[in-house]
Amino acid sequence: MSGDDDVILIKDGKRLDGRGFEEVRNIKMEVSVLDRAQGSAYIEWGKNRIIVGVYGPRELHPKFLQDPTKAMLRCVYNLAPFSVEERKKPGPDRRSVEISKVAAEALSSVVMLERFPNTVIDVFIEVLQADAGTRCAGLTAASLALADAGIPMKDLVAACSAGKIQGQVVVDLMKEEDNFGQCDLPMAIVPRKKEVVLLQMDGKLTREEFNSAYALAFDGCMKVYELQKNTLLASMKKFVGEGGEENGD
Amino acid sequence: MLNVKDRDLVLPGQNLGNELFFDLNCYSEDGVVYSAVEGMVRVDGRKVKVVPSSGGYIPKEEDVVIGVVAEVLSGKWLIDINSAYLCSMRGEEVTREKKDLSQFYKAGDVITAKVARVNEVYSCELIKPWKMESGLIIDVNPKRIPRVVGKQKSMLNMLREKTGSRIIVGQNGKIWLKDGKVDLAVKTIKRIERYAQKQGLTDMIAESLARETASN
Repeated sequence: MSGDDDVILIKDGKRLDGRGFEEVRNIKMEVSVLDRAQGSAYIEWGKNRIIVGVYGPRELHPKFLQDPTKAMLRCVYNLAPFSVEERKKPGPDRRSVEISKVAAEALSSVVMLERFPNTVIDVFIEVLQADAGTRCAGLTAASLALADAGIPMKDLVAACSAGKIQGQVVVDLMKEEDNFGQCDLPMAIVPRKKEVVLLQMDGKLTREEFNSAYALAFDGCMKVYELQKNTLLASMKKFVGEGGEENGD
Repeated sequence: MLNVKDRDLVLPGQNLGNELFFDLNCYSEDGVVYSAVEGMVRVDGRKVKVVPSSGGYIPKEEDVVIGVVAEVLSGKWLIDINSAYLCSMRGEEVTREKKDLSQFYKAGDVITAKVARVNEVYSCELIKPWKMESGLIIDVNPKRIPRVVGKQKSMLNMLREKTGSRIIVGQNGKIWLKDGKVDLAVKTIKRIERYAQKQGLTDMIAESLARETASN
């Protein structure tokens, strides 16, 4: 994660993929993509391709893990072996375990776990193609999948990253910028209350740079939130049929 | 004060208003009521509730459910009712004697029963079982079941009449059908599930049933 002076990441005021410093990559979201899961979502964020399945609430085995006051939220983040250029050996590695943990904590702050005692809610985040920012994209999709499953939540969770490349603070790093940049700052928020539920930093920033990166990431999250809302509303319209909103019963 | 109209589509965390009465799929914070699920909000004066578009089944007393026997223990059965919570049924429901319970229902049998008691952690007990021998069981989103039954069973009775099938609706999202025009009944139920929130659904279904039975 060291700054590499030979690689040019900014040319003529634009990044390698033509984006401006405050431009988030193209994002497409979809819900209800897995029939057998209670809830599911698929997200394409830049070149990232991530699918999330939510199972539950369901019986939790082994029984000694059951909590009679609330449900347990288990999150498993996994990179498919073909998701990265150099084949990744299947199975959890330290990075996957870390991301699973922070994602579960971020989601637990919004899901109303007390409504389902003695159960578990399983969230599987499967990365099919990785291009930096997978934990943000995965969390965003996980939040959609939980809503799709009808699991009560206080709000959605929207995530976006920011960072520093070649001395310039930018939003939403892509793979080359993450590999050769100077800092990566993923963030996830609960948009309504503007609370931060995930914030990590990998690299070095001065206080001013941190403040700019924080602000950029926060704005990015709010943009992602709008997309999430549109995706969910569009998927619900299919079940209501057109014109179901005009007059009361 | 309301921030939404009746029948608006809402999302988790959406502001519904303040100084309102609300139900299970909403929550309040600092006097403001928010939706907890994605669905359609129904407004009745100062009461709001959100009809979720998806979700599992949570056992409720007096519900009729269709379940599969998961395990036979000494003195009771454990029954899977397609919910996060397993149900149990005491041996006394079927026999007073200390017999081997698998003679009555064994693992894999399908039964319909009534939910008698539900405790704080949602484990429940079933009573009045009835074994289902043949017929067809379909899965329906549990949240759509009220629509399939209709007000005072209007929709369900219409279905039974027009198709001549025997239909038992389990609140846990399983419906059993036998005899009569089962295929037509299944097709119609799937339509009701799809258009559950549409207004005038009962008439629409009555029309389509009349069409299908007339053309035979």
